[in-house]
Amino acid sequence: MAASGNAIDPIHQFEIQRIIPLKIFGVDASFTNSSLFMVIILAAISILMLYGTRARSVVPGRLQSAAEMAYEFVASTVRSTAGEHGMKFFPFVFTLFMFVLFSNVIGLIPYTFTVTSQIAVTFALAALVILTVIVYGFYKNGIHFLNLFVPSGVSPILLPFLVLIEVISFVSRPISLSIRLFANMLAGHITLKVFAGFVVMLIGAGAWAPLATLPVAAIVLLTAFELLVAVLQAYVFAILTCVYLNDAIHPGH
Amino acid sequence: MDAEKDAARGADDEALKARLEKLSGALETQRQQAEAQKAEEEKSVGPTGETGKALSLGFRVLSEFVAGVLAGGFLGWLLDKWFSTSPLFLLVFGALGTAAGFMNVYRIASRPTSTGGDNPRADQP
Repeated sequence: MAASGNAIDPIHQFEIQRIIPLKIFGVDASFTNSSLFMVIILAAISILMLYGTRARSVVPGRLQSAAEMAYEFVASTVRSTAGEHGMKFFPFVFTLFMFVLFSNVIGLIPYTFTVTSQIAVTFALAALVILTVIVYGFYKNGIHFLNLFVPSGVSPILLPFLVLIEVISFVSRPISLSIRLFANMLAGHITLKVFAGFVVMLIGAGAWAPLATLPVAAIVLLTAFELLVAVLQAYVFAILTCVYLNDAIHPGH
Repeated sequence: MDAEKDAARGADDEALKARLEKLSGALETQRQQAEAQKAEEEKSVGPTGETGKALSLGFRVLSEFVAGVLAGGFLGWLLDKWFSTSPLFLLVFGALGTAAGFMNVYRIASRPTSTGGDNPRADQP
């Protein structure tokens, strides 16, 4: 995220670069910088969870307590939103939470690539959530799952409209889930980059150079704020996943 | 002999009492210091946390609304493409999508927001 000096281009950081070009049956499946950072994220999560739970001591060490805190946080979120039945989906929610959290936080490190600032990635995650909800909802409740779209206690004249609105509202879920995460990360990183650009411009502006401390201070504050947003968005993603899964487990309002 | 012992014991008691008082005084000041530090930390963390939560809620409302309109428009456009009735369904579903967006926002607003950020349906089993 640090200003690159000669070229101040806030969008450049989101560019996908092919590291190992690859084509499988005409589909571009190159190993890109995005894929590289996904591998890094997976490695970081694996190290935390596998290494952290290796000792299994009664008095946890640093890594072990980090792993335990992550587990307990997600477990209590799942229990409070989707109930005890929701724990069936704990591995799923935990994976999503850790992936989003690590990609958000790792993306804050300068010169890294933020995987969740790509709408393709966030929409894939959101679509996975909604597909799970639909498949499990029909598997568990059969045709009764459609009761989700029928609000109770509504006059028969209004009912068709409300059912249509409910269906559209359901369709909007993956869109809002993916756009929220993507836009938050994109906006935060662009803001940081733009402020970094101000620093470079002010330093190059001769007598105005002392003013460059202002955007530097702003960057410090924004970075702290972005860290908060990164964690909060991972939490929001996890909790909304639980809310949607709750609809599949207990349909009907 | 006895008087001497008693005097010694009395001095011991005095010393012990003084020590106890000093210790409990030290404990008290330490506790107060810890509390003051905690309060300060909360003060310094509070506003950012609050702002962050409020911002995230605002962003949620915005994205839910926009997503409702987008989903309605998308469905309408798809139906128009299938039945080649452009722009009938796009208009109808655009309006319905806006309604769905309002409904999404209403759902967020009608849920009680607890201290733990947005914790919807925590009250339901």
